[in-house]
Amino acid sequence: MGEEEVVEGWLEGAESAKSMLSRIMREQPLSLVLPPPLDRVPLRLGNVVEIVGPSPSSKTHLLIQAAVSCILPKEWNGVNYGGLGNLVMFFDLDCRFEILRLSQALKHRIMEANGTRANPNWEQGDADAFNCNQKKGPHIECDRELFSSCMRRFLYVRCYDSLEFLSTLKTLHYQLQKERETHGVDVHFLMIDSIGAFYWIDRASTSVAIKGNNRKCHSLQTVSESIIKEIRKLLLVHPMLVLATKAANLGERNSQKWSSENSSDMRTVGNGPKKLPYREYMPSIWQSFVTHRVLVRASDEDSKHHNSPIYLSQWLLPSLSVSDMFIITDAGVSTL
Amino acid sequence: MFRAPTFQKLSSPFLFTARARNEGLSVHHSPPIATNLVHRRFRAPKSRNPREMAPLKSLEREYPIVDFNFQQFCASNGIFSVEDFLIQDLYVLAALAEQHSTSERLKEGITQVLSVIDTQHQPWLNGLELLEDAQQNKHILSSGCERIDMLLEGGFCEGYLTELVGPSSSCKTQVCLQAASAVAKIGGVVFLDTGNSFSSKRIAQFLISDPDGKEGNQNILQKVLKSIECHSVFDIFTLLDVLHQLKPNLTSQTGGRVQLLIVDSISSLITPILGGSGSHGRALMISAGSLLKKLAHEHNLAVLVTNHMVSGEGGTHKPALGESWKSIPHVRLQLSREHGSNICNMCILRHPYMASGKAVTFMIP
Repeated sequence: MGEEEVVEGWLEGAESAKSMLSRIMREQPLSLVLPPPLDRVPLRLGNVVEIVGPSPSSKTHLLIQAAVSCILPKEWNGVNYGGLGNLVMFFDLDCRFEILRLSQALKHRIMEANGTRANPNWEQGDADAFNCNQKKGPHIECDRELFSSCMRRFLYVRCYDSLEFLSTLKTLHYQLQKERETHGVDVHFLMIDSIGAFYWIDRASTSVAIKGNNRKCHSLQTVSESIIKEIRKLLLVHPMLVLATKAANLGERNSQKWSSENSSDMRTVGNGPKKLPYREYMPSIWQSFVTHRVLVRASDEDSKHHNSPIYLSQWLLPSLSVSDMFIITDAGVSTL
Repeated sequence: MFRAPTFQKLSSPFLFTARARNEGLSVHHSPPIATNLVHRRFRAPKSRNPREMAPLKSLEREYPIVDFNFQQFCASNGIFSVEDFLIQDLYVLAALAEQHSTSERLKEGITQVLSVIDTQHQPWLNGLELLEDAQQNKHILSSGCERIDMLLEGGFCEGYLTELVGPSSSCKTQVCLQAASAVAKIGGVVFLDTGNSFSSKRIAQFLISDPDGKEGNQNILQKVLKSIECHSVFDIFTLLDVLHQLKPNLTSQTGGRVQLLIVDSISSLITPILGGSGSHGRALMISAGSLLKKLAHEHNLAVLVTNHMVSGEGGTHKPALGESWKSIPHVRLQLSREHGSNICNMCILRHPYMASGKAVTFMIP
């Protein structure tokens, strides 16, 4: 190739506006299927979204609702379910995940989409509705099949410490390939609940620093670095949307009934001149890995909407001025 | 599978003694390397000595590919254990192996270590398998109090870490004892007592007041008391010790499976180690919480812990274990007692699938 051609090629750009547009249309933003408040910004595979908030602030529920959208098919037996029909990988670092919550939400969504076809047996919201053998209509049978295939697309692992988390990540590439072969679809969402779970343990192990040779010591820094490096490498080969929750302490200002007890020991990682509404503690390497960040929190204790607590959300990255109010029920997330 | 406990990674000198005592009795079924790894972390190596290579060397017996040459190669890159492997970029390592004359063998070794790593995490499960486990193995245990069972849709869940939080004399211990007396009729109970609050007399009273068990009270009482195993625990290290010693197939003296584990109160063990600028106290707290959740999940135990309250700013009361503990239990229940009466109130602060804020009043017999 002559030099001129190279220059021409460079001038032409990598792709035309038309091809870019068609590419972007093809890679439709995931926000179409994500529950509010995650639908506020266009999210794509490869993004790393952090859902930060005090406990409880519906963080895990948001993940569950997003997972349901991902595992539901777009269409099944002529009924439109509006899902992605892809796999979800869920890392449970808090070890508090409740599968019944997911299965109930999934059943509600299936029921809702079936609309008029819904069988009254389902209305009870009973966890055993599927196991009811007495009134087994053809629809129930078919919905059960749909339910099972959706549940099989939800992949779950729990980790009791950072090293287990790292071990899982190190071998995730093979796991991803295996699951892709089994299901014939890709993993689209990688969920981590919650990323700061082992912060204190890792921080305490910093003092073990064994120096000498060229051996790396196990510390919060090296462990976080390795975790992020592994996820980064995975994202190159398997584009996924990373959804991570992070428990955070809101400052005294926002503290409700019981104010926070551990104000003295939280490291404040400055995020530019902007004052964060919560105390940041994750290492800066994690901060820079996150591409999107949304803050969620429960609104005042007493405000309720039809007996469901109201939550508030605020996008911090990108910074949006709008704040959403939403409630979460088994039927999904609805904004107020 | 029960594996090397989480807290072993810590470096506190206290922990070392706690571990050392624990060593002969602990229940990990992990490959020996995991324990070796932990061991060597406490012996700060001054120079490279044969012992230093023990962790990778211990793999050699089982996997001949992890030979001396491979160990030498790893050592030159600062890797002495499987743990060190985890924080290495294996692509970089493979690229380095490429430069050696025995690159093929070295890369095989890396793959071998990776497959060892693959056995060190919990298994991947799909939603259906999880649901099956929840429906078949995680039962709900009656608390012994009808009103509480009503609030909690049956009682305390196996697999959950449930916290009772409330000021002193808000019936925290009474709820624990009542649950113990109810569960001990059908299975085993382990009661970890931090303040000499366990009372077999009180258990007997609960049994007598139970309308179902009027006949053959003496026999039932014998059986119930035999099913409750009580340990005095006065510090966090003893707690971790005892928890590690709980056998995988927890069976009580009467042969029933242990279904309920009570720590009354966990806050009195943890508050003394919190505070100050060090993070070890919090690390121990998180480890204890994590271990309790692991036991609860793997052995289908309902775990019940109590958290007392201390005075906070402005004359208010706050839980002794506050913000950083809050995200550990599955269920948080707040207890209070009406002044000068034996009417108590229980309110759901958090629950994986029930609305928070639901409350009920009940009477302790």
